[in-house]
Amino acid sequence: MGWEERQVRGYPEFVRTAQSYHGRPIFALFCGDKDAEGRSWCPDCVTAEPVVRKELHNLPDESVFIYCLVGDRAYWKDPNNEFRRNLKLTGVPTLLKYGTPQKLVEEECFKAELVRMLFTED
Amino acid sequence: SVQAHKEEDNPQKTMEVNGLTPVPDSYDYDLIVIGGGSGGLAAAKEAAKYEKKVMVLDFVTPTPQGNSWGLGGTCVNVGCIPKKLMHQAALLGQALQDSRKFGWQFTEEVKHNWMTMTESVQNYIGSLNWGYRVALRDTKVTYENAYGEFVGPHTIKATNKKGIEKLYTAERFIIATGERPRYLGIPGDKEYCISSDDLFSLPYCPGKTLVVGASYVALECAGFLAGLGLDVTVMVRSILLRGFDQDMANKIGEYMKEHGVNFIREFVPIKVEQVEEGAPGILKVTAKSTTGDQIIEGEYNTVLLAIGRDPCTRKIGLDKVGVHINEKTGKIPVNDEEQTNVPHIYAVGDILQGKLELTPVAIQAGRLLVRRLYAGATSKCDYVNVPTTVFTPLEYGACGYSEETAVEKFGEENIEVYHSHFWPLEWTVPSRDNNKCYAKIICNIQDNERVIGFHVLGPNAGEVTQGFAAAIKCGLTKEQLDSTIGIHPVCAEV
Repeated sequence: MGWEERQVRGYPEFVRTAQSYHGRPIFALFCGDKDAEGRSWCPDCVTAEPVVRKELHNLPDESVFIYCLVGDRAYWKDPNNEFRRNLKLTGVPTLLKYGTPQKLVEEECFKAELVRMLFTED
Repeated sequence: SVQAHKEEDNPQKTMEVNGLTPVPDSYDYDLIVIGGGSGGLAAAKEAAKYEKKVMVLDFVTPTPQGNSWGLGGTCVNVGCIPKKLMHQAALLGQALQDSRKFGWQFTEEVKHNWMTMTESVQNYIGSLNWGYRVALRDTKVTYENAYGEFVGPHTIKATNKKGIEKLYTAERFIIATGERPRYLGIPGDKEYCISSDDLFSLPYCPGKTLVVGASYVALECAGFLAGLGLDVTVMVRSILLRGFDQDMANKIGEYMKEHGVNFIREFVPIKVEQVEEGAPGILKVTAKSTTGDQIIEGEYNTVLLAIGRDPCTRKIGLDKVGVHINEKTGKIPVNDEEQTNVPHIYAVGDILQGKLELTPVAIQAGRLLVRRLYAGATSKCDYVNVPTTVFTPLEYGACGYSEETAVEKFGEENIEVYHSHFWPLEWTVPSRDNNKCYAKIICNIQDNERVIGFHVLGPNAGEVTQGFAAAIKCGLTKEQLDSTIGIHPVCAEV
């Protein structure tokens, strides 16, 4: 069984989804909300998303890729939002391996090599 | 190093003599670094800056208890970093006690949870391991989690944890394999005792602990374990903190004794037996006096050995490439450019003979070495007047000569020692000791009363010492010190 993708929006939905996959490797990409035309308010997320998607085929079997929209710009800027408080996110885009200290933040997500390392190495 | 040039001139011939197939002119790498610790990583990252093709091999042989860790070396995983964090945990416990005198009111008894602390510390370390991997990958340094050993003058065999072997060649090598804790060589030591390699990730509270040793590792660990509320005993063979100023070492010991750490002096363990299994279990330690025939026994939940560290240089094939090591200690002698007796092989860090075993020293040596190799730089690592700090419950910062060494080198009549006890303002209100903090400087009378030794015992000793180290490097004299106006109210103004 290869890998699968789930798309979620907001913190509660993210947590529910991650918990439902407990026991499997979970990777998550956090991006700013997209407008009606499908464009994010976060320019770095726009750059990072295609880079990350291109590496998805490297995901280990059985793993889950959660694509999570965090909220609008105002929500994100609030220093007390749940993603900052509970997941310790410091910026978007963030790509992480859930439950480990392994993550890539902002421009690190632009680098295919690093994304591949996150997906394929222990 | 002059005679070594002969080998460099004719590598082809050397290899044929060794019976190996000659290696082609182009090596796999410009530089292979064996050891991904403080020195190794600093050197590798620096070499990458000059667009050299670099490989880092890092491998942790599991401890007798089966423990292992990620990239970053001793400091990050089982040394300075977790040590300082746990020392901080203990200081915070003390601060909580003091806080009542400053008006904070809380009714519950304050207790410490080992697992909460250890998980947080390990999580932070995990982020550092990851950070190093990202940094190496980002700078195109090849990293392999594999055990490296020389099999030929320019060839390394790398064996990963699955036993798969690969060969790599390089023009130059840096050995930065560091050290591991020594064991006593008595029955029960490897089966039942732990070392600092195990302590910082121990998955259960160590409980009543016997620390064997009188090194800074032993005293720092004993110090924070006691600070967290555990029953701690330190078994010392002879003196405390060998190599450090003994006047200061004794003050540290006195303070620890007065603050709940038990000391058993002039005894060595001869046997460790398991009384009860568990996490922790119960161990029985039998010890013999070093001055007579007396035998004593004691029971502890955990026995932590901190009797010294040995270089990882015996099993990396140095004999195959002719690199000299000190057979007794395992240390590698190098010239002042960190070059071994084999011109294309260098070494940095704790494994060096006669050099300080400190992370910043290894980092500096590694960086400067690489700049000399690839960027035409000429500066060499300055090993003189390196500041250090021991993070015992009462912290000790030092830079330069100890009083004994100064007397030995300059003669008692040529040095002047200025000293003072001091009482940190923050300690007054909670009625903490008023005669324990102490500072002294040692001056060379014949050289304008130049400050050649700086010692301070008190809170934040590391922070205090760092600035004075820079001043000493600039040639600080007593007069200049006197004419520097103090900051008030801080400890450093003394």
